[in-house]
Amino acid sequence: MNYQLTPPTTTADFELDGAWTAYWLAGLRIITGWWFFHAGVTKLIEDGLAFTYGPAYMQGMTGTALGPIPVWMGNNLAWLIEPGVPLFETLIGLALIAGALTRLAALGGVIFMVLFWVGNAGFGHGLVNGDLMGLLLFATMLVLGAGRYYGLDGVLEQTAFVKQHPKLRYILG
Amino acid sequence: MTKIIQKAAMALGGGLIALGIIGMGIVEILAGKPYGAAPLTNEAGNVIATPMVDPALRTGLVLAGLAVFGLYGLYQLVTPEEEDAVAREQPTMAD
Repeated sequence: MNYQLTPPTTTADFELDGAWTAYWLAGLRIITGWWFFHAGVTKLIEDGLAFTYGPAYMQGMTGTALGPIPVWMGNNLAWLIEPGVPLFETLIGLALIAGALTRLAALGGVIFMVLFWVGNAGFGHGLVNGDLMGLLLFATMLVLGAGRYYGLDGVLEQTAFVKQHPKLRYILG
Repeated sequence: MTKIIQKAAMALGGGLIALGIIGMGIVEILAGKPYGAAPLTNEAGNVIATPMVDPALRTGLVLAGLAVFGLYGLYQLVTPEEEDAVAREQPTMAD
């Protein structure tokens, strides 16, 4: 005789397919998106596409776990960093708010937050700080494909084009 | 009834948080410097511009939204579990 137990589920349990999960993920995604949109759009208002602090910040990132990469970027990629920081922050924010190209945008957010976490080095209270939490937020959006919850990716993934090219889900989701 | 209360908690809690962070954040951007929620100071430390919306109001709205979620949790705690949820806890026999 074989007894099969269904997983114990009560209203106090956390259901992965439950309404609160979708709601909470969408909320986190939108607020994370607003965070970056605000950072980007205010830079655009103040400095346009000439955010000169960006290359200078990276030139100061000496002795980090990223080795000479950020300093080299600050010295040689100023043409990309100056317009790229405000522009990409704004676009990443908009994408997350809309829930479109969520995984691609979240990957961009992860790259930014890695630089902020290592570059700011605000480790006075340990390595786990606000920058790392931001990094983990973006990573969570990426892993869970948060754009499917009340986001445009949920619609985009149902299109015939995406169904014919299912690997697009690695940048949607 | 529970579903209606759940949706109301979602709408009210999320709405308050969105208003405090995003709604008033848009107002702050449109109102000009400072774009953030802190006063702008010069090199001497003197305040040269203050936020249009008091940050205490914005943080208060966010806390109120979180409080709505908390109240919903308390409501769930004191409400008897629905029968189907309890039934799902019982072992079932398969052949």
